[in-house]
Parts: sequence; C-alpha cells; structure tokens
Amino acid sequence: MIPFDVTADDAGDRLANLEKQLLTLPSRKSYLLPAFHMAQEYLDWLPRESILVIASHLRIPLSEVYATATAYSELRLEKPEYGAWYVCTGVACEAAGAQRIIDAIEILPEKFGRTDCQFLCSLAPICTDHRGKILGRLTENRVRALFLEDSGDQ
Amino acid sequence: MTNQQSFLKTILDESSKHSIAKLFIHKGTCGDATDIVSVCEKQGIIELAMSLNAEIIETSCDGRCWAAPSVTAQKIDVGGVSYSRRFDRIDLGVKLKELGEVLDLSTVHNVFDDGATGLTSRFGQLDGTLLAAVERGAYGVAEKVFRQDQKSILSKIEESKLSGRGGAHFPTGLKWRLAAQNEGPRYLVVNAEEGEPGVFKDRHLLEADPHRLIEGILICCYAVGVEKTFVYINGQAHKGIESFMTALEQAQNSGITGPKFLPEKMAVDIEVRAGAGGYVCGEESVILNSIEGERPVPRFKPPFATDEGLWGMPTVINNVETLAAVTTLWQDFPPPTKLISLSGNIARPGVYEIPTDGTLSWNGFLLSVGAELETVPAILLGGPSGTFVHREKFDEQIEMKNIGAGGIFVLSPNSSIKEITNSLAGYNERESCGECTPCREGTIRLTQLLQQETVNLKKVGELIEVMEEASLCMLGGMAGRPVKSAIENFPATWISAEQ
Repeated sequence: MIPFDVTADDAGDRLANLEKQLLTLPSRKSYLLPAFHMAQEYLDWLPRESILVIASHLRIPLSEVYATATAYSELRLEKPEYGAWYVCTGVACEAAGAQRIIDAIEILPEKFGRTDCQFLCSLAPICTDHRGKILGRLTENRVRALFLEDSGDQ
Repeated sequence: MTNQQSFLKTILDESSKHSIAKLFIHKGTCGDATDIVSVCEKQGIIELAMSLNAEIIETSCDGRCWAAPSVTAQKIDVGGVSYSRRFDRIDLGVKLKELGEVLDLSTVHNVFDDGATGLTSRFGQLDGTLLAAVERGAYGVAEKVFRQDQKSILSKIEESKLSGRGGAHFPTGLKWRLAAQNEGPRYLVVNAEEGEPGVFKDRHLLEADPHRLIEGILICCYAVGVEKTFVYINGQAHKGIESFMTALEQAQNSGITGPKFLPEKMAVDIEVRAGAGGYVCGEESVILNSIEGERPVPRFKPPFATDEGLWGMPTVINNVETLAAVTTLWQDFPPPTKLISLSGNIARPGVYEIPTDGTLSWNGFLLSVGAELETVPAILLGGPSGTFVHREKFDEQIEMKNIGAGGIFVLSPNSSIKEITNSLAGYNERESCGECTPCREGTIRLTQLLQQETVNLKKVGELIEVMEEASLCMLGGMAGRPVKSAIENFPATWISAEQ
C-alpha cells in the first residue's frame, strides 16, 4: 500500500473515498477506534486530514479525537518508513539470542529496529523482515541466507 | 423453537462426501513463521499427498509450536474410526515412506485417535469450515444447555469453580450471577486483547478453534440474558481476527446464531472490535472505554462492570479462554483445565493444557514437556506482572491462583535474574498509560532505582507498596511484583546492594 501523501495528485480522491467508507459506520462516538482502523487501513497512516474527516463524521471535537488517537501505540500519526527489520527483544527472544540476530543484521546493509514481545515466544528468537513477514526460530545463518536470497531477487 | 436435536444434524447431513485420507498442514502464525508451505513443497510432501489422492487441508497450529513446521497425516476407515500421525520439524527432514503409509488406503493400522476432549482437543484438526467443527462436537454443549433454565446453568458454572483465565481468577459463575441480577440491557465483552508478553494461548484458541469461543459466548448470552456482545481482539493478532470473523460468519449464515438453534425469544448480536496496541488495553475497564470511543485509560473501581460497565449498564467481561472453558464443563472429563503458554529454556515450547485440581507439580509439568531440570534455576510465571518460582519450590503443586494468565518462561543457567527484572520493569515503564501518578511516576522511579549499582532495597520496597496501594488499575498495582519476587527468591543477586 502506498502511504497517503498530501502533496500527491490522488490525495483529494483518497480523502473523498475515505469519507465515503466512513459512511458505513454509524455516526456515534463508539465507532471512533473502528474509524481509525478504517482510515489507517486505507491510507496506511492517520494524516491530519483524515482526523478531520473522522471528527466531522462522528461529531467529536478534534481535541478529543487527537487525545484518543495519540493514546494507541499502533495508530500512526506520522508517515511510516518501510524497509526495516524489527527484532523482538522480549524476555523469551532475548534469552534465545536476540542480540546475536541483531549483530548479524547490523553488519548487513539493512535498516533494523527493536520491538517488544510479538507473542510468538514459542518460536523465539523472532523478527519481522522488511516486508512485515514474521520469521521464527531465527539463526544468524538464516538471516544471512535470507539477505542473500533477497539481493538475488533484485 | 424448532427441534434442536435435528438442527446440528441438518448441518452434518448437508456434508457431501468425505475424503478418506487427509493431509493437515499446520499453518497459522507458527507455520507461517517457519515457512511451512515452501518446506512442504521442498520435501515432496505435497506431491506425495496428491499422488495418493489425499485431501490437502490448511489448518492451524495444534499448540505444539516446538514442532513447527509440521503436518498431520490422517486416514478414516469405513466405520469412521481414524488413524493419524504427526510429522514434526519437517524442515529437518521427513520420512516420506511412513507418511505415505498413513495416507495409503491399502495399509491397516492398529492405533487410533484417543477421542480427546478439552480445550485443545480440536486444535490443528479443523479445516476452517463449520462442518469440521460440528463433526468434532462444536455447539453440542450449547444445544444441551439451551434445554436447561438459566438458574441451573449458573449453578453449574459456580459448582465447577471455573475462574477468570485472563489471570485475575475471579469466579466466573459469581460474575455471571452478579450481572444477571441487575436490570438490563446487559452486555458481554470478550477480552481477546492478550497483551501480556509471554502469553499466546488466546491467539492459538482464536486461530485453532474459534467456534468454541462462539459457543461459549452463546451459553453466556443465554445464562446471563445478554443483549449485545463485543469481542475485543488484539489489533496485531491478524490471523486470530480473520479466523474468528470467518467462524462468526459461518455461524450466522448457518443459523447457529438465529432462532433455529437458539432458545425462544433469544437473539444474539456479536460485534468484533480490533484493539490498537498498548499493554493497558488488556485491562477490563480500559476495554470498556475503548469500545465507547473514549481514551483507553482505566476507570475507578467500584463501580464494578457487572453493575456499571458499558454505557453504565451491567457488563460481563470474560477472557477468551474462560468462555471457551465454559463449553468443557458439561463433559464428564476432564474437569476445567488451564492453558499454559510455554517458552524459554525448554525442548518443547508451545500451548499446553493442564489440570486445575492441584494434582500436578512444577516438576511433573516441566519433566513432561522435556525440561532438563538440573539446568533450570527458576521459571517466570506471567510477564511484566509475574513472579518467579525458584527451583527449590518445584516440588510444590501448581495452584491456579498463582499462575496468572498461564505464561511460563523457563530460565536457563546463564539467565541473569537482574537483567530480566530490569527488562520487565522497563516494559512497565514504557507501557504505563500515564493516567494515574503512582504508576506513571512510580514505574520510572523503579527502573531508575534498579539500574543503580547499589540498589536501595528499602526504597524499592516502599515504592512498590505505594504503587500497589494507590494505582488506578492492576497494571500499576502489579508492576512491582516481578521485582519483589526476584528480591525474595534470589536474595544473593541483590546482596551487594543491601544497606
């Protein structure tokens, strides 16, 4: 999905489409979180323009809509950057060698970050690759192999 | 009300024909993370199954995550008796000859399925259709209890001593009775947020047997007189949401949630809501605020949700596993069981079902899942609100009230208690929602105190006490628990710090 860009040609169309989609939700406060999900699914993040549309459809003050949006860690209020690997550093993954995985990725020309528990502790250590795919029971060798495979694809 | 006996039967009768040999590919989150599909192809399993005319079925993880990627080969003979065999870790190699023998109709086997009952009995055996679930007993209990009156159902649940499986272990029967006593409209909220690191059993339940949850919901709706149900699922549990939505649609389309199946005058309305992150979103009053469209922060208690929950009306809030467990209470065996999410220094991590009657010891459990006890210094029960169990206490019986939501992380000889404790404290600091001061400021102070070279244990103790007493919700109230438990169980770790 292409993240919403306010300067792009299709920005107006996408916002109009979002407004149409929102009409399927009742105009009640209870549908605030479903509305956030709907917008984020369609635009990939929640630009200010989408927050305005949501506020007017649900008839909630903008301040309250923002107050709620900022309280959820999975709602993106900034345009996301893709292409990074995320290594889980929860307790189980840490114990299973998350640091070794980080070391292995670090020397590759890949962007990476750390995340909290991803709830797949039974397959620790895990990481999500730059496409968002979860990789379980990871080893340094597998990281290297995946990277080589990937550069071969391109 | 139409004849209920015949209703589930109509679903079964509609089934055309059954394939006799089946190959179950255990996909789900665990299978996907271990590249099951490409492994199957690489190992020639798909080719073999197709050459033997076996039906290839994509199913969920069966709870034995350690075995992923894995497949189950199954054959059913004319009498309906089935033989099945699992092939584990097929990425490391698979005995194709033995796999072929199971699927090959000309070979005869003498070992059969054990006809297991219980929460995990359908894990990894369903193909995602309603029919497969009904064939294995789904909705059979609901059909039975719909012929009883509400009072006797409530009594049955109270007698069973079923308690809240989200970790608080509040008696389920009592909760239902309290809500039922109040004037309606009443709501049911299913807590499927499961945001506690180290716990992954609800995700498995949603992926592997969603119809069991729906059946539990129907029983609760009938017994308590619920008008509307909200199922609040963790926003990151994509497969769980997908699997539950599919099952719900199947139940609705087939009439399971309609007048053909439900008792007279009963109507069911189930809505799915996806969460959007935050450990605190698993706290029950936070979920209420979230559903109402308010900021996801906790509410003061009392009033309790059974008196004033969603929009001020009586609300039952149950964990996924609690409602699923309701469907096992009318079986002769087993008694209510508890799901365990096992990870760490252990040969076979995954989801397990253990008895709740206090007959199993830590030693017994750990040995049964392949632990080398001499290499286990302790286990951590639950995540950031959990406690440690020192190896000296492994001969004690497992008691429900101590195990929280059932997350067990097994430590290894080179685990550092201090590092783990600090990591958990750091998690609590990051996840504090900031609504109340004891938790917002306390979690920050606690991590600061713990990171010092000489830890002032007296100050730590006092701080934890304040957080326990004064926090708005249990997230703050229990944030100091792992720290306290680490200090109690491993005093030597902290000796240099004592003043």
